[in-house]
Amino acid sequence: MSDNVTRILVAALGGEGGGVLMNWVVSAARRAGHVVQATSVPGVAQRTGSTSYYVEVAPIDAPDTVLGLVPLAGRVDVVVSSELVETARVLAAGYVSPRHTTVVSSTARFFSTNEKIAMGDGRYSKESVRHAVDTMAQASFFLDLGKIAKDNGTFVSATMFGALAACGALPWSVQQSRDVLGDERSRAGFDAAARAVEVIRSGAAEVSAPESAKVLAFAKLPSGLREVMHHGAERCEDYQDVAYRDFFISRSEALIAAIDLSDHRAVHAVTEAVRRLALWMAYEDIARVADLKTRPERFARIRDEVKLEEGQILRVTEYMKPRAEEIADILPASIGKRIMARAQHGGWFPFLGKGRFIRSNGLLGYRLLRLTAALKHIRRRSLRYQEEQSAIEEWLDALLFALDQDLDFAMGLGELPRVRKGYSDTLQRGLRAYDQIMAHIVRPARGAKFHAGVAKRLRDAIGAALADDTHAKLDAVITGTVPEPEIPMLKKVTNV
Amino acid sequence: MEVSFAKEIQKLKLGDGDKFEGEGILAVTKALLQSGVTYVGGYQGSPISHLIDVMVQAAPEMADLGVYVEACTNEASAAAMLGASVMYPARGAVAWKSIVGTNVAADALSNLASPGVMGGALIVLGEDYGEGSSVIQERSHAYAMKSTLWLMDPRPNLPTIVNMVERSFELSEASNTPVMMELRIRACHVQGTFETKDNVAAKVSMKEVLAEPAPHEYERLAHPPVTFGHERKKSGERMQAARGFIAEHELNEVFAGQQRDVGLIVQGGLYNSLMRALNELGLADAEGNSDIPIYVLNVVYPLVPDEILEFASDKRAVLVLEEGQPEYIEQEIGTILRRAGSDAVLAGKDVLPMAGEYKAEVIAEGLGRFLRRHLPQVGNRLEDAAYADEVAVLKAQAADLLKAPVPPRPPNFCTGCPERPFFAALKLTQQEIGPVHYSADIGCHAFATFAPFNFGNSILGYGMSLASNASVASFQEKRPLAVMGDGGFWHNGLLSGVTSRLLNGGDGVLVIMKNGYTSATGTQEVISSPDKDLRLASAEKSATHGETTIEDALKGVGVKWLRTVHTYKVSKMRDTLLDAFKTPFGGLKVIVAEGECQLERQRRIKPIRAKALKNGERVVRQRFGVDEDTCTGDHSCMRLSGCPTLTIKPAADPLKTDPVAYVDNGCVGCGLCGELAHAATLCPSFWRADIVSNPNLLDRLGNWARRTFTGWAGA
Repeated sequence: MSDNVTRILVAALGGEGGGVLMNWVVSAARRAGHVVQATSVPGVAQRTGSTSYYVEVAPIDAPDTVLGLVPLAGRVDVVVSSELVETARVLAAGYVSPRHTTVVSSTARFFSTNEKIAMGDGRYSKESVRHAVDTMAQASFFLDLGKIAKDNGTFVSATMFGALAACGALPWSVQQSRDVLGDERSRAGFDAAARAVEVIRSGAAEVSAPESAKVLAFAKLPSGLREVMHHGAERCEDYQDVAYRDFFISRSEALIAAIDLSDHRAVHAVTEAVRRLALWMAYEDIARVADLKTRPERFARIRDEVKLEEGQILRVTEYMKPRAEEIADILPASIGKRIMARAQHGGWFPFLGKGRFIRSNGLLGYRLLRLTAALKHIRRRSLRYQEEQSAIEEWLDALLFALDQDLDFAMGLGELPRVRKGYSDTLQRGLRAYDQIMAHIVRPARGAKFHAGVAKRLRDAIGAALADDTHAKLDAVITGTVPEPEIPMLKKVTNV
Repeated sequence: MEVSFAKEIQKLKLGDGDKFEGEGILAVTKALLQSGVTYVGGYQGSPISHLIDVMVQAAPEMADLGVYVEACTNEASAAAMLGASVMYPARGAVAWKSIVGTNVAADALSNLASPGVMGGALIVLGEDYGEGSSVIQERSHAYAMKSTLWLMDPRPNLPTIVNMVERSFELSEASNTPVMMELRIRACHVQGTFETKDNVAAKVSMKEVLAEPAPHEYERLAHPPVTFGHERKKSGERMQAARGFIAEHELNEVFAGQQRDVGLIVQGGLYNSLMRALNELGLADAEGNSDIPIYVLNVVYPLVPDEILEFASDKRAVLVLEEGQPEYIEQEIGTILRRAGSDAVLAGKDVLPMAGEYKAEVIAEGLGRFLRRHLPQVGNRLEDAAYADEVAVLKAQAADLLKAPVPPRPPNFCTGCPERPFFAALKLTQQEIGPVHYSADIGCHAFATFAPFNFGNSILGYGMSLASNASVASFQEKRPLAVMGDGGFWHNGLLSGVTSRLLNGGDGVLVIMKNGYTSATGTQEVISSPDKDLRLASAEKSATHGETTIEDALKGVGVKWLRTVHTYKVSKMRDTLLDAFKTPFGGLKVIVAEGECQLERQRRIKPIRAKALKNGERVVRQRFGVDEDTCTGDHSCMRLSGCPTLTIKPAADPLKTDPVAYVDNGCVGCGLCGELAHAATLCPSFWRADIVSNPNLLDRLGNWARRTFTGWAGA
């Protein structure tokens, strides 16, 4: 790179105002006396897809410079990005070079569809991106540009501009950039971002709030396990009563007693198992849902989330569709069984199976939900309670055995209840996955005293159960067949 | 229309010596006016949508100048519009996205080129090739050659582009041939400046009307037997005239360089990238002074053999830099050199890749290979390999540090898009009847080919979905499904698809997304766009609800099974789809999936609400949310919706490890979340908040009662 052209790459999502930012940069450059050229490839990416804008600024004394329209890998002076994974995309394409590139990136995440639809946790690693940028950029600035914009009542384009202007890579002053902005809000966002970048430049590291220390019971346990025990106990008491809390503690303690607390792998296995135990014991039935939906802190959270202002009135509507199954779940086992039998024969029930709108902060709706919440008092006699508890017992029993015999397997088994989640069809699929894994992997493994490789098979099965909601991958793991090649047009040719 | 061009319209009025600052495609628009056009038309599509949009919005200003503007219903109609220049001394220009638009226009182009033109005719092609492209990767060049149309490919800076627009009209008139100008995506969107001239009023125009039509001249019809003569003229006198004009006016440029043994021949559009590459290799300075001579083809068809032979005359080798395949220019240059017995060695696609965008990195590598072979004293000193290595190392290091591939982020339906609920309903339908053959089409609905929907077995072109499964129906147990937008329906689908299926009595299910506009290209209007009154009356409701042009047309051609369903009624849509797949009725079944484009609706609602709030009127705003306490983090709602605002966040619950669902503040309260919670029996975690501003007495009374009897919950 033998010239002094300033090359600016803007990475953004369609519809975020990247074009606005590009035009601001162009105006600022022109006002500062530079010849400038900028271009973009918006197209359909304007519909929330990933997109980029590219600006080249000629040196002030060389207005006849031929300016490029396409960024050159390794030859970009400054990258400004509205979103962390878009920064990663720029990095992966080779634009960031330790010799030239300053990276100004928002830490905000706008999750891509593929990250969102994962049945477990599909999020891209934030830490990897930050580490990669810190390693590969000449200078890097990370700040939550989206939040700064929101705090100042403006759009991310304004804060991106402020951060870009202050990062030291532009050949004109921060003030010259600022002068381009017409309205107060954009300027406020610009200023806040510019200040934040200047603070980072002056050497102050980003300060993260220290985790608040909690006073916890179970003092003798390792900290992670202690915390999970504490939360789990609270959850079960909140869910049912003190006796249920003690029930949780006694179950957990049985697991803890089975291991050596100095073995960190064993502690990890039990910690995850206790976490799953707590979540499982506090399974979501209609009483639980109704209870959670009528709590003061919930309405406070909604008021906060919708930014309710003084003088406005809030009405909250719930979308409920109770089916016979959900009703049978909470009623005493004998009645529940009869309802299920009727449901399976296609019997009809009044009020059930239809979408209901319930005004949870309305007079009737609220009373109805409180009444439903009160069903928790008969929960212990209910059909689902019996089913869940016996499944928990079987799992705990297998887990205790595994903790003794094969720690790897126990680690997987502790995680297994993670596949049981969701409601209605989703829950049914989860239960099916759970049952399949119990029947085809856990029970046989136990019988065979955990031969080599079975722990991996269990882990694979859990991963597969969370990989797609058709269970195609899970079935492949269970039956031991290799999945079909993923090229849809290719037919498998069998040799005859 | 999505964007307002009020400011840009002012730029179109700049006069002699003023400075235009703005986008490339708008500079072209200004250049058309400086050239004295009589009429302008086109069909929208990235990257030339802005040309059409600004002209349509500026129609009153254009009328003052006497310029007629037509928003054509497809590219064939735009190309046919140039017919005005065949018999009249009227300059005209049309624009579209290429290659796809040129394909559609091909019939009219052949018929236009054969008789040739009297008034200058220019076709502005948004060459949608390379990064950011949304279409198949083909070259418009082939059309220039086969129909004998001249093709401009100017250097991508505004003064050159503007100059070439003006010259194109002159070239067209001098050679009686329509001219195409290809502008790559980045050139269309480039921000630059040029010195403007006064607009020129046309001799024949809306203001200067002709009393009499042109006389009947059989010679000017694309009809036998004169077409045989036309063919000879195209390759004979018209070609000669064009070459003469190009040479005389120096439309192509030669930049001298000290290394006279070799030379570079480059398409004008690639010039800046070539300069970047030369600069990177240390063979040119930043101002574009190159060590190696360069011959820039601002006109890539026809080539001027004399210029090429002169450029090559003292050289051992020339390298042709030509983007895309096949290498038409290189082949023609090869013929020119060979016929003349030139000694110069020809290089091109042997050192450069056959396919793909010619970015500076790619060009630098090719230059390295070329120079090592043909100018070793320079080539062997080059550091192109060092640069390539550097880039490879950067990419490898990034991949290593990032640990996992960066997740893709293709475009998606907008927040509140009325097409999303249709695809959720289709997903639910397929859960009951299993997958069906799905013929996809061009338009926003093609986003359903991406996650979380992953629909589609084929895409065959704009408005072609129904036609593309005509034969599929014959060998499928289940009826095939075709989906097209109202844009595609009017562009092509009604004739190619619907009438053909009806004529043959074929079975099948067609869904037409009636959102009221060609939304993917910037919400331009179609014949069935709701008119102003309807939009005004609809206020916050879907304005396409009362618009029945599509249904009327379908009934008119004889569709018997026709349903119109609002897309947000997910259960009803699913039931209608099930009915369409299961009904014993054997003919074509059409479901009009109605729901106005959210971009247009929001644009209308925002001022209405702002005004009402300002006047202290009662306004209800809705948005949705998810209770994270009851969300189990299985994300099945997202697999059905894909809404940008329905996203994930870390669970506040310390026991939950998977992220929970969360609706961010971009929510426009479209209602899909709630509909899905019901239709799919998803989960009880969704809530809807109605936020009442300026509550009336009844609201306040109700609120008081709620507070009194439920305590805090009344809020």
